Amino acid sequence: MSTLNLLVAVCVAYVLFLFFVAFAADRLAAQGRKAWLRSPLIYTLSLSIYCTAWTFYGAVGSAARNGFEYLTIYLGPTIVMVSWWWLLRKLIRIGRTQKITSIADLISSRYGKSSLLAAGVTILAVIGTTPYIALQLQSVTLSFSVFAAQSDGLAAQDQAIVAFWLSMGLALFTVLFGTRNLDAKERHDGVVMAIAVEAVVKLVALLSVGIFVVWGVSGGLTEALNRIDASEFGHWHTDRSRWAGLIFLSAAAFLCLPRTFQVLVVENDDENHLRTASWAFPLYLCLISLFVVPIAVAGLDIMPEGSNPDLFVLTVPLALGQNGLAMLSFLGGFSSATSMVIVAAIALSTMVSNHIVMPIWLHLRPSGASVSGDVRAAVLMARRISIVGVVMLGYLYFRLSSGGEALASIGLVAFCGLAQVLPAMLGGMFWRGATRLGAFAGLTAGFAIWLYTLYLPSFGVGTILPMSIVENGLFGLAWLRPDALFGITGMEQLMHALLWSMLFNVVAFVAVSLVTFPSPLERLQAAQFVNIFEHSTNARSWSGGTAQTEDLMVMAQRILGAGEAQVLFLRHARRQGARGNLPAPTPDFLEALERELGSSVGAATAHAMVGQITGGMAISVEDLMAVADETAQMLEYSARLKEQSEELSRTALELRNANQKLTRLSVQKDAFLSQISHELRTPMTSIRAFSEILRDTDQMTPDEQSRYASIIHDEAQRLTRLLDDLLDLSVVENGQVNLNLRDGTLRDALDRAVSSAAIGEDGFQLEIKRDFGKENIVLHTDLDRLSQVFINLIANARKYCDAKAPRLAIRVMQEADRVVIDFQDNGSGIAPDAVDMIFEKFARVSDQKAGGAGLGLAICRQVMTRLGGSVDYVPASRGANFRVVLPYRTALAAQ
Amino acid sequence: MTRTTERPGPPTVFHERRTYRRRRVMDAARVAPLLALILWMIPLIWPQSGDGTVSSAKALIYVFVVWAGIILLTWGLSYLLAGEVDELSDSDT
Repeated sequence: MSTLNLLVAVCVAYVLFLFFVAFAADRLAAQGRKAWLRSPLIYTLSLSIYCTAWTFYGAVGSAARNGFEYLTIYLGPTIVMVSWWWLLRKLIRIGRTQKITSIADLISSRYGKSSLLAAGVTILAVIGTTPYIALQLQSVTLSFSVFAAQSDGLAAQDQAIVAFWLSMGLALFTVLFGTRNLDAKERHDGVVMAIAVEAVVKLVALLSVGIFVVWGVSGGLTEALNRIDASEFGHWHTDRSRWAGLIFLSAAAFLCLPRTFQVLVVENDDENHLRTASWAFPLYLCLISLFVVPIAVAGLDIMPEGSNPDLFVLTVPLALGQNGLAMLSFLGGFSSATSMVIVAAIALSTMVSNHIVMPIWLHLRPSGASVSGDVRAAVLMARRISIVGVVMLGYLYFRLSSGGEALASIGLVAFCGLAQVLPAMLGGMFWRGATRLGAFAGLTAGFAIWLYTLYLPSFGVGTILPMSIVENGLFGLAWLRPDALFGITGMEQLMHALLWSMLFNVVAFVAVSLVTFPSPLERLQAAQFVNIFEHSTNARSWSGGTAQTEDLMVMAQRILGAGEAQVLFLRHARRQGARGNLPAPTPDFLEALERELGSSVGAATAHAMVGQITGGMAISVEDLMAVADETAQMLEYSARLKEQSEELSRTALELRNANQKLTRLSVQKDAFLSQISHELRTPMTSIRAFSEILRDTDQMTPDEQSRYASIIHDEAQRLTRLLDDLLDLSVVENGQVNLNLRDGTLRDALDRAVSSAAIGEDGFQLEIKRDFGKENIVLHTDLDRLSQVFINLIANARKYCDAKAPRLAIRVMQEADRVVIDFQDNGSGIAPDAVDMIFEKFARVSDQKAGGAGLGLAICRQVMTRLGGSVDYVPASRGANFRVVLPYRTALAAQ
Repeated sequence: MTRTTERPGPPTVFHERRTYRRRRVMDAARVAPLLALILWMIPLIWPQSGDGTVSSAKALIYVFVVWAGIILLTWGLSYLLAGEVDELSDSDT
């Protein structure tokens, strides 16, 4: 059995073993026995996905060619892992709370779930990863050919066959274990377990070769170090810009590579695992790189001139006849290659199916995603096709590039391309002002420059980029030469591309973010991402650790009063058995305190206050809502109280006014009673006196008799008139009056009233001003009663107008549905406090001018009410102004 | 009882000091990567030619000693910060 056949057998057995491991892990996970499947150790080992065949074989090759530069590839990730506290913890928390499935998903989710950004990052990842997969296939076929060289060699087409079957096997494995379920968090227990096993194989293989070289070949550590000093790299010598640049690049790549992001963030099961990985993964990297230089030095010593230093790990043991060690080393390289391809295919297929295939599929379907099972099957199918597609793409790339030196440098080229995602990613995590357009601009600028200055030239001058562009620059502009942008020459190609692409990326990202305005969803996501630790902690019971009892005491004293607060605190201190008079801030005590405070300020407020002091938790939205509720209730209550008190004061004012009116009425009534008794007594006295004279005087002339009798008659008439008035008022008031409705003009009624009022005019003349033209209005009403009202008003004017030349203006205004007659004199008018009294019975404005019983206006008002109109006192600029209003139905316009 | 008049000192100070210490451990965890970066940038100032060049073996030992130191430091910090991570991460389970 040839070595090659043995190799194939070992390979198949190893792959079958991996299938078994993955299958068993999936079975265990399905049974819920995840405890040791998801341990910090497994997590740390799975992170070794970063170390591919390129690092397994390539590190020694790089050391043999460029000295210590290979270390940078491991130092960058080490620094990232040491930054776990402020960087990775946040990244993982974001990934877990936002249910992130890939780096494209992270970027898209942060920038308002932009599907364009997701698709862009996906394309970038596919372009960057495909050559990398090809590199893995190449390394496996190369290592095959090393063993084959011992027997009968490996023809080119055989290499292609090996690569083809390898990629088919890897695709099958990935489809089987990578798409078993559509778990929301996209975790793959079987795959992770297999990766962890492969990580151990890698480490053990490299350490074995290293130990063999140092102690077996060189003869001990000191000897090995001496040999290093004696070898051709003797003294420390590195390109300084590459040392710094590659540390940055590898750190960026560790965060941005789809496969590392997959295991670091997506497959993370517990944030606590990160704590272990923070030191354990640097340890892994340290061990992996520990023996690289000794192996390289030994290879350069032992192997013949011109042999490929990339394969020293394999060829050195073979050359020394250690076939078993060589086999182990081969398995290590095989593990590195296969695990990388598997995880990269899973990560890429998730991105491709979620961000490219599914959006297109859903868009093409007319009905949209109506049936959930339908979509599920479609997603799984899309993912499987994507996996096969990605692996086959890598195979095609391998076939087309036909191996060679071009492929060896592709690792760093891919790093540089994927590092373009870094500004958008870190900016999104730590800067709320980063916007979708900014991220898009940064990614586009960085991607374009990377493509032009590094990726396309990496295929070799003249293959894709024409020679003319490389020599003379784009469009013949010398400052656009891909290897010397802006005319800056002399920089090494990778550093040149890294500098310009990152510079333009960051500048475009920041500048566009500053000038654009994010959408509401973007702003929400920005807040969620940047303040992830405030948002993701659930409400918990009080954790006493950081609570400050003294501060609580101060607060409690303010609210409860010093004495009560001290008693409360002392009681709890006793209950806890504490030595001082301050209890420890245990949850029990805090709850009790909160209840106590709650009875004073409301539960929500108390909770928030205790929360602020203990710092155990931020005030949750529920707390704020509860506070708002309480406040709203209190506001409502106080508003109700205010309303009631206003109503009460209104009522009180009304009552006071009514009381005043009643008091005044009572005074008026008393005055009236005395007046009416006086009015009644005066005529009665004279009637009695003169009737006694008539009765008792014998000698009386007829003249005297007649005079006395007429006095008695007059006085009796006065009495009758008074009694008539009283009777009239009571009749009108009780509505017993009969209206004598007839037609007549307003002018007639006024003429009659003016002439009637003039009777008995004694001495002074009241000048009455009228506009006869306007008085020609035909009325259908009780004209006698109306005249009575007019007489009363004119008589009042005569009686009470105190002007030297009294004047009364009677104005008639005809409106749409009523007739208004104003009686305005030029006197001093009626005092404001008397206005509301004048229409009352027995009311008189002044006692001195008492000429009647004070019933006139009361009767007027009753009459007008009966006639359907009204009589009111209208405040005027000067003088008293009474307004009589007649409704229109009783008024007809004159012909 | 004289106990009631005792000053309420020790427990609070103890808590405060513990909180203070924990904050400083977090600060240390934040600057640790900076320390690693600075230490690994030191080879940049080593002379590359002429007298005083650093031998490869010494350079290798320097890089790996720094590495080991950083691993130990991170291990210590992660041990001290265990409580913090526990407290925060159990919200998700």
